[in-house]
Amino acid sequence: MRVIGALWLRNVRLFARNRVQLLLLFIMPFFYLYLLSAIFKSTSVSQPIPYVLAGIVMIVVFQTSLNIATSTIEDIVSGYMKEVLVSPVRRISIVVGQILSSTTVAAFQAFLILAVGYALGLTYTSMVTPIAIAGFVVLAGLVFSSFGLWLAASVRNSQTFQIVSVAVTTPITFLCGVYVPLSLLPEGLQTAALLNPMTYAAAFFRALSLEKLSLPADELVAEQLAFRFHGVLITPVTGLIILAVFGLICAMLSAIAFTRADFSAMNRSAIQKDVFQQ
Amino acid sequence: MTDPIIVVKDLVKRYGSFTAVDHVSFEVERGSIFGFLGPNGAGKSSTIHALCTISGYASGVLTIDGIDVGRDKDGARSRIGVVFQDCTLDPKMTVDENLHMHGCFYGMPKALIRERSRFVLELVDMTDWRKAMAGSLSGGMKRRVEIARSLMHMPQVLFLDEPTTGLDPRTRAEMWAYIDKLRRERGITVFLTTHYMDEAEICNRIAIIDKGKIVALDSPSSLKKRYAADKATIASRDPEALEKLLERHGMSYASAGADGDYLIQVEDQASLMELISEHRTSIGRMEVSRGTLNDVYLEITGKDIRG
Repeated sequence: MRVIGALWLRNVRLFARNRVQLLLLFIMPFFYLYLLSAIFKSTSVSQPIPYVLAGIVMIVVFQTSLNIATSTIEDIVSGYMKEVLVSPVRRISIVVGQILSSTTVAAFQAFLILAVGYALGLTYTSMVTPIAIAGFVVLAGLVFSSFGLWLAASVRNSQTFQIVSVAVTTPITFLCGVYVPLSLLPEGLQTAALLNPMTYAAAFFRALSLEKLSLPADELVAEQLAFRFHGVLITPVTGLIILAVFGLICAMLSAIAFTRADFSAMNRSAIQKDVFQQ
Repeated sequence: MTDPIIVVKDLVKRYGSFTAVDHVSFEVERGSIFGFLGPNGAGKSSTIHALCTISGYASGVLTIDGIDVGRDKDGARSRIGVVFQDCTLDPKMTVDENLHMHGCFYGMPKALIRERSRFVLELVDMTDWRKAMAGSLSGGMKRRVEIARSLMHMPQVLFLDEPTTGLDPRTRAEMWAYIDKLRRERGITVFLTTHYMDEAEICNRIAIIDKGKIVALDSPSSLKKRYAADKATIASRDPEALEKLLERHGMSYASAGADGDYLIQVEDQASLMELISEHRTSIGRMEVSRGTLNDVYLEITGKDIRG
């Protein structure tokens, strides 16, 4: 437990010390909010601003969670991970510590945006909604942090990771209905979006924060909060289950990666050695 | 060996079809300094990594302080301290924070962490820098902090993988002073690799590994006695007479350089003295040099260690 706490504190501290990143992560969502509400006004969505805001919160949770991958890669490249791995710390504690700290940071970002959204006029009719929102933000953070950590543990090299990161985040963020409404996508990509866990995270979070979870199926589908695939209805709740299972698989895979992986050679392959140090 | 703390038996490590460590066996005595030498890619780091539990191995038995490294990794981990070849400090944390994290990893109580931090930083003269970001320190300071950190949990064995590479001569000398102090005062066993043969002189025992196999294992002085004879260089005004004398004493020699210097292998001092006294009127210049570990190394591996 103490190790998890120490790793958590370290990562949260590292995040807090990076002022530029902090500022940018805070400003960018509002830029997207401004841009996207204009686009979504042209679709069949009834409350474009809260609808877009909910999507953006999910994107922010996703991107902030993926930062854990970058910082884990940095730890691997800087050699620090070797110091951690040579100590008698249980591998699972490292995985849990990394995931929890990244979830904390992601949730913090999400709450910040929601707070500003509230100031802009975002309202909830039920008292349960904000609590459920907080709970779901944390769950999404856990899922995407697990995903990020698994990605980092499998790649283990900063150059490769940059490419992998772009190759993975681009389809996930663009094919989930947050930036571009899914109905505007060609049919092939709409099907692809249904394989994207982010689609379900965004849909569930929208349904939750717009308090539309109890809407009839057809209306949900019209608002793109539920999906019909070859006649099978994927409700927001089904989406929630898909998301949770995805997260669980990622967490397990990263735990396995950390226990099994041979991290001994990683440091040298990542850094070009000084010629005088042969 | 009376009390071995490290026992390596038939260690084999492969990377695909390449055998990096090929049935290596050796023992390290408690409280000694053990030098592990060899050219780049000879299997040094692979052996250290297997002993440090951060990489697996194909077969063999490794024990540290009686603990089977393959079976009880955490038991072995808590008994060792490691300073890797590359810096493994957390660059974005202060020196103090680095030490604190280390203490947490090894399950040390808070009060002990504080007390130990103070002690180890003093040991390496880094107390004034404890609030500095680790990433901002110079290479030598980073090394010192790493050594301090590896001592936080008072390990039984300290692994030092080329601890002085890239350091200036003064820092190197200081580093060895710390290491020797540790061994004397704390009874810590030191397992080190180095590329600098003069540094290997402080070892009680040395193993030389080449192409994945141990090719020599002994104390520096025995190795020198066996593999590196003393050398004499004599410039003679009467080369023919010198050559005759050399042959009569059965000494092997080579003439080196254009100025007619003779490079002579000295098997025993007595016959050299005799030769010198017989030839003294014709000797222009002479020099006797002791065999070094570098000579031992060259003799055994057949190539320069830096090559």
